[in-house]
Amino acid sequence: MSNAIALPSARHGSAMNLRFIDWIWHIRGSVDLPPGQTSEEAFARLEPLLRQPGTSQQRGGEALRFTKIDPASQDKLAVFENGLLQVEQDSAGPVLRYHLVSRALLLCFLAPLLFLAFAQLTIAVGQWQKPAAEAAAKAKTDKKKDAKKDDVRPMNPIDKALGAPAPEKDGKKPDRKGDKYSPTSAYVFASLFALLYVIGRILEARLVKARLRKSLLGAE
Amino acid sequence: MEGIRVGKRLIGTQAPVTVGWENIPRVEGGPVKRLFFSWFQPTVLFALILFWYYAPNSIAKASTAIGIGIGFRVFLLGLEFFFPRHESWQLTWKEVTTDLFYVGLGYTVLRLVDGFIGSDVMVGAIQDSFHWKSFDWFTGLPILLQAFIISFIFDFGQYWMHRGMHNWYPLWLPHSVHHYITQLNINKGAVGNPIELFLIGLGIGGFFDFVPRAFLLAGAIGLAVGSYQHINVRFNSPRWWRFLFHTTEHHSLHHSQDFEATRSNYTNTYIFIDRMFGTCIDGEAELLGMEGGRRMGLREQMTFPFTEGWRAIKGKFARQGQDEATAVPAE
Repeated sequence: MSNAIALPSARHGSAMNLRFIDWIWHIRGSVDLPPGQTSEEAFARLEPLLRQPGTSQQRGGEALRFTKIDPASQDKLAVFENGLLQVEQDSAGPVLRYHLVSRALLLCFLAPLLFLAFAQLTIAVGQWQKPAAEAAAKAKTDKKKDAKKDDVRPMNPIDKALGAPAPEKDGKKPDRKGDKYSPTSAYVFASLFALLYVIGRILEARLVKARLRKSLLGAE
Repeated sequence: MEGIRVGKRLIGTQAPVTVGWENIPRVEGGPVKRLFFSWFQPTVLFALILFWYYAPNSIAKASTAIGIGIGFRVFLLGLEFFFPRHESWQLTWKEVTTDLFYVGLGYTVLRLVDGFIGSDVMVGAIQDSFHWKSFDWFTGLPILLQAFIISFIFDFGQYWMHRGMHNWYPLWLPHSVHHYITQLNINKGAVGNPIELFLIGLGIGGFFDFVPRAFLLAGAIGLAVGSYQHINVRFNSPRWWRFLFHTTEHHSLHHSQDFEATRSNYTNTYIFIDRMFGTCIDGEAELLGMEGGRRMGLREQMTFPFTEGWRAIKGKFARQGQDEATAVPAE
């Protein structure tokens, strides 16, 4: 009966065996159950964890499948869209095996690629705009050359008295938003999401194991 | 639910809200903790003002402002982690990642798009057509006053744009996505449909950036006040701060699940603009969001304004068709 419910996104038997890469967004593991604990008892203990808004469950013998649609932020399993929980008899006793699927982990894994694409786009737009930017800069320089020296605006006496630094004499106005064609921020975010993925893949795997263990082995 | 009467309005008939400063909890704990959470906000504000007022020209530039902004947010993120205001708003890995995705969009592709169609393009074009001399009256003002005027103009525009978003359906559609957030965290201000993020960035505050130091000061005031809009930290903000500035409490009420409560506190920085126009409500809420607190997924956040807009248009034409079919000609 354990195969009565399958994960829809596991794609068992598909032409390409996703098992080699699906660890990116699939989390598998097991928790040893106390001797004699039946699947009924185990799933009853997991009920508070699964009874959440947007979560539907399907039971089939020793297996339970859950699916989540728009889970709440504080749902302890919010990072997983669906999962299969199975109680099996091991040589050492009963064990709960879980196989959870997280689209959030997959998207986070792919996010660096998106931001690298943004970086390339920024570079490309910068190249495309280069002649226009150079022409604008030249026009500004010419305008400044024509302008008289008294174009440098005087400071208010209050600011002078308080000792605020005087504005630049050449009337230079720095770009207050930074270089808009710099790909640096896109590279920073690509790295950030790569780091977040590693943290998430390790953290969420540990958290779900700890939560399942706590629910299954916690005091009656 | 009974609700609380605020002026002519009944607030909190659909979801629990707290109205009145006297009903809002204070930070609890030892004297050091209470001192820190009472004086942190004003100290940072005045320290940033002093820094930008006196920093030499070689330091007073955009890259410094960006660095301070990032550092300040990271610090506030740490405060959220160690001193959460509500357990129900705790940051999770998924929340942090989703929020940062939107922050990332703002720093990359949205900034790129803004460079072509943002309000700064229009402002730049208008500025170029004026002679500097025309604005001597403004640039001769004290720098701090210039900074206040820049941030006030920006926030005044923001107030009406935001109020418009809550009152006109085509503008509400892109903004509604932001109201599906179910908790406040430091980066939640960035979460929303990209169209709204573009619209809310429109403003003519940038028109008065003739003195870069004044513009950077205005940005620092915005950072030191506006950053607390979406934060899961409780502060004992001084009375004068709560009167002048938009606080987490004000903004949580704006995000409440109660419809009437959401139609208040539209500003970003200066809550006294809301007071001027009668839309300010002093209070807070913990239960946030739309549709009873349904958390919207990323894909829906991207498509919602279009799918809902399409549904609304179809509905309108269907109703018109029905009316025409059932209309009896008058003789």
